[in-house]
Amino acid sequence: MQPEEMKEAIYRCGKCKLCSIATYHPNEKSLPICPSGEYYRYQAFFAPGRLEVLRGVLDDEIENSEGLLKVAYACTLCGACYEKCREISSIEQNHAEIFEEMRNLLVEKGWMMDAHRDIMEKVSETGNAYAAPVSEDYGHGKREDTLYFIGCTSRYREPEIVDAMIAVLEASGEKFSILGDETCCGSVLFRTGQREAGEVQVQKNIRAIKESGAKRIVFTCPGCLMTFKKNYPDLGVELLHSTEFITQCLDRLPLKKLDMNVTYHDPCHLGRHLGIYNEPREILNRITNLHEMKRIREQSWCCGSGGGVKSAFDDFALWSAGERIREAGDVADILTSACPFCKRNLAEAADGMEIYDVVELVKLALEV
Amino acid sequence: MFENLKKIVGEQYVTDDPAICYSYSRDQHWNFVPAKSPACIVMPGTRDEIREILLFADENKIPVIPWSTGINVRSLTIPVHDNSILLDLSRLNRIIEINEEMMTATVEPGVTFGQLMEETVKCNLRPSFPDAPLTASVLANNYLRGIYQTSSADGHDHTLSFEMILPNGELIKTGSRAFSDMQHFRYGIGPDIAGMMAASPGTWGVVTELTLKLYRVYDFEQAYFVGFDSVEDAMPFIRDINRDGLVESCRLLDHHSYITGLFGTFDYDYEKLPEFVACILVAGIDGIFQAKNELVKKHISESPGKLLDIPATLSTHFREETIAGSEKSCMVFGLRGNYHCIGIYGPLTHVPKYWELHKKTASDAGIPDDHVYFYVNPIAPFYGQLCYIELDIFYDGSDAEMGKKIREYNNLQFPRLLDAEIYGWFRPYAGIIEPTLDRIGYQAELWKRFMEIADPNQIMNRGKLF
Repeated sequence: MQPEEMKEAIYRCGKCKLCSIATYHPNEKSLPICPSGEYYRYQAFFAPGRLEVLRGVLDDEIENSEGLLKVAYACTLCGACYEKCREISSIEQNHAEIFEEMRNLLVEKGWMMDAHRDIMEKVSETGNAYAAPVSEDYGHGKREDTLYFIGCTSRYREPEIVDAMIAVLEASGEKFSILGDETCCGSVLFRTGQREAGEVQVQKNIRAIKESGAKRIVFTCPGCLMTFKKNYPDLGVELLHSTEFITQCLDRLPLKKLDMNVTYHDPCHLGRHLGIYNEPREILNRITNLHEMKRIREQSWCCGSGGGVKSAFDDFALWSAGERIREAGDVADILTSACPFCKRNLAEAADGMEIYDVVELVKLALEV
Repeated sequence: MFENLKKIVGEQYVTDDPAICYSYSRDQHWNFVPAKSPACIVMPGTRDEIREILLFADENKIPVIPWSTGINVRSLTIPVHDNSILLDLSRLNRIIEINEEMMTATVEPGVTFGQLMEETVKCNLRPSFPDAPLTASVLANNYLRGIYQTSSADGHDHTLSFEMILPNGELIKTGSRAFSDMQHFRYGIGPDIAGMMAASPGTWGVVTELTLKLYRVYDFEQAYFVGFDSVEDAMPFIRDINRDGLVESCRLLDHHSYITGLFGTFDYDYEKLPEFVACILVAGIDGIFQAKNELVKKHISESPGKLLDIPATLSTHFREETIAGSEKSCMVFGLRGNYHCIGIYGPLTHVPKYWELHKKTASDAGIPDDHVYFYVNPIAPFYGQLCYIELDIFYDGSDAEMGKKIREYNNLQFPRLLDAEIYGWFRPYAGIIEPTLDRIGYQAELWKRFMEIADPNQIMNRGKLF
């Protein structure tokens, strides 16, 4: 993104701050949708203030400071501000992308969070963001048309999601492969402004995907999926989220209805960034009793985990998750999502609430 | 300074980080008031903390800029002086009371219109709304004379009383609040202190609590949209329905600009509408509503205007914008990216003259015709045919050349409007103080002397008044 494009967004911001609340009518509720602004409170942490700070960076009027790093990086890049703003201002520049570009500018100057540099080093050394020993447990040596790309967080932190997805793929009759030496897609690097390091991962994965012969890739991690769609060249391969895949084969899966009252949290990468809102709901409506929260879809409250926030600002990440847990508790006993990052962060703040990924519930519905 | 403020509010609620301070350096009025960062931001959580901050600032002659929720479009919270403290009051966000019986609400500075409406509607009441978004501060808008009649029937003065901490730490309470626990009357004893303080450049102190009027939400409502080919054609109709007190809301506006916000969509063929549209809402209790409605229909049929068939969703948006919480008015930013306006009070009789003057001055300043629009809101009760009139220019805020032209427009237009006769300026905009002070004689001196008593060290961001 060119500085002129960023400046256009900056100069189109009327500072109305409607980007910080969900649409009021017809629900008649004034509900916040900007976790960063709500948590840190200063104007700099709401989109209009953050855009002003970006102006200062572009015009070389701001030097590095603790506050600058916090403003730039204590944002989950959830994009709720953009979804609201474009309704009002018809603006086309996506704030999540602009704020990511702001991080690119800062990283070029060497202004970055130690936690993010640490992740970059871990990915560089081990191929995953957690520096976990490479696990080839899931490797299927065969070449198949469908490849399940697991992603670091599910593979090393939320293996229940992987187990569930494998069970669903098997139940669907789909032949699939998994890369034994799967490496980080680069998502966390791109989101934290470390574009060069991200490109290294892109090249590694392009080679691996080509070698796999896959014609379509299924992801349980929306972060990986978005990165493949946004940061990778067109590989000539169909890219699908697990909920899209399951929706496609919903009628041939032997699913039973679960006696569960659940609500669904839209992951930012899946919803706002990729526009996938209906598929998870179609699945949950089939197998559970789905009750919606007040802030959903384009105006969903972010779980607090994305954009490198979990690694650098865990207190903020957990506070955001706690807010979501409370909202979920108003309508259901079980909170579902469709993202391993969301599940992990929400589970840490769960306070007794049961947290599942949609694929885990599908697996349960297969077993009833 | 930082260390002293930290002692008052705690480390968590004060910062002098340049990046964070920078975010308070501009609002959307950057073409008229240069960006300037405060030296630090402090977020008090109590009245006592505010008092301590003011005492510290006053003793050390440090400028203080109160800031409520940050929705400012006229640079009223941009520092004028170096080394200023920005007093971010957003933590004081309690609705202290909604008094259904008395039809009043008492709020702190950080309470937004969205928050307040959410509560008042539960008892079929509402505040009066400005076109400002629901994120704007109720207290600041009322204190700054910021309610400019999205609903004509609400009248003009919505503030009943408030309490203010002066720079010397003294607490003053206005109206009936001064000597009783009842906060519901504007005029307690002596002069109208609240009226004297409203709409000054900067402020006289920090308002920590304000009681305002609430208005009924009626079960019976009907919207009408009447098209006119000229401003003059609409005048008798607008006059009659307001003189007879028939309408809850009434706005005459061009079909290009603010109507987008009233209808809540860019996706409508506005070009097919007549050049001017009167948007009207009739409301009332059973019986009165029907009588008013019949009379309005009669006035419409007898006017030269054309009753327009507007889709129901757009009509619903109009109703929401005007009496249920304006949310989409900011869509004017979507037209060209930014807007400039001069808001004035004047009689309906002068509206065609203001409109012609607006176009002429814009043309003299080199601003294209298609950037120039306006609207008028009559205000009940209709003595003096009181109206709020907004002279708008929609433009690309990043276009520095256009910014220069609009500054030239201001230089020409402020004295021209004074010459054309207006009742008053809506707010103490940048640039209006100087030409106006020249014309008000000893009142200017008196005003300054009053402010000197309240704020002898001039710490309250008075801008060009002094």
